[in-house]
Amino acid sequence: MSFLEKIHWVALVSLILGFGWYFTSYPWATANTLDGMLTSVWMLIPTTLIFLVPMVIGSVWFAIRTPKEANLKEDEREKMIHLKGTHAAYYPLVIGVWANIFALINGLNYGWSVNILMATLVSAELVRVGAQLYLYRRGY
Amino acid sequence: MAQAPFSNNIKTLRFLADEMTQADLGDRVGVTRQTIAAIEQGKYSPSLEVAFRIAHVFGKPLEEVFQWQID
Repeated sequence: MSFLEKIHWVALVSLILGFGWYFTSYPWATANTLDGMLTSVWMLIPTTLIFLVPMVIGSVWFAIRTPKEANLKEDEREKMIHLKGTHAAYYPLVIGVWANIFALINGLNYGWSVNILMATLVSAELVRVGAQLYLYRRGY
Repeated sequence: MAQAPFSNNIKTLRFLADEMTQADLGDRVGVTRQTIAAIEQGKYSPSLEVAFRIAHVFGKPLEEVFQWQID
């Protein structure tokens, strides 16, 4: 497994931990109020920490264990995998933006808007990292 | 996943070159060991530049390393 693939696994786990906690702990009953929006904003601080801590620890751990691999530049296959993953992530991003537009039209504001946007970003990241891991596992 | 429309002799050529490892070949070509493995298995079609670099490492012309399979 290449260094970049290991980092992608760490990113996937971090995403699931950080945003899994966020979406399961969010007080959905207050989502359509100003408080609901402010709660979202404040919850981003622990969410970011839960996301970043395993990401940093994982990256440092693998960089120390395989320093030679960590210093390698992305080669052409890895660049293609990177591009394909980013391309796949475009679709959930577009769907999420449209979902947010429809939500706003239908009177869902404040916390709902923030959460739909956040879910859009998280879905896009999950698709990107997931697609890249699939391509790494498959060979290309 | 479609297999590349060409085969290659990289594994044999590595063996003949003092049992060169995939990692050694990758270092000399400028790609990762995993990329060499993917090329060897026909899962990834390298760019022309990488194909020439691989052939150059073995001191062989390109067509002795890669063979086109479809007419």
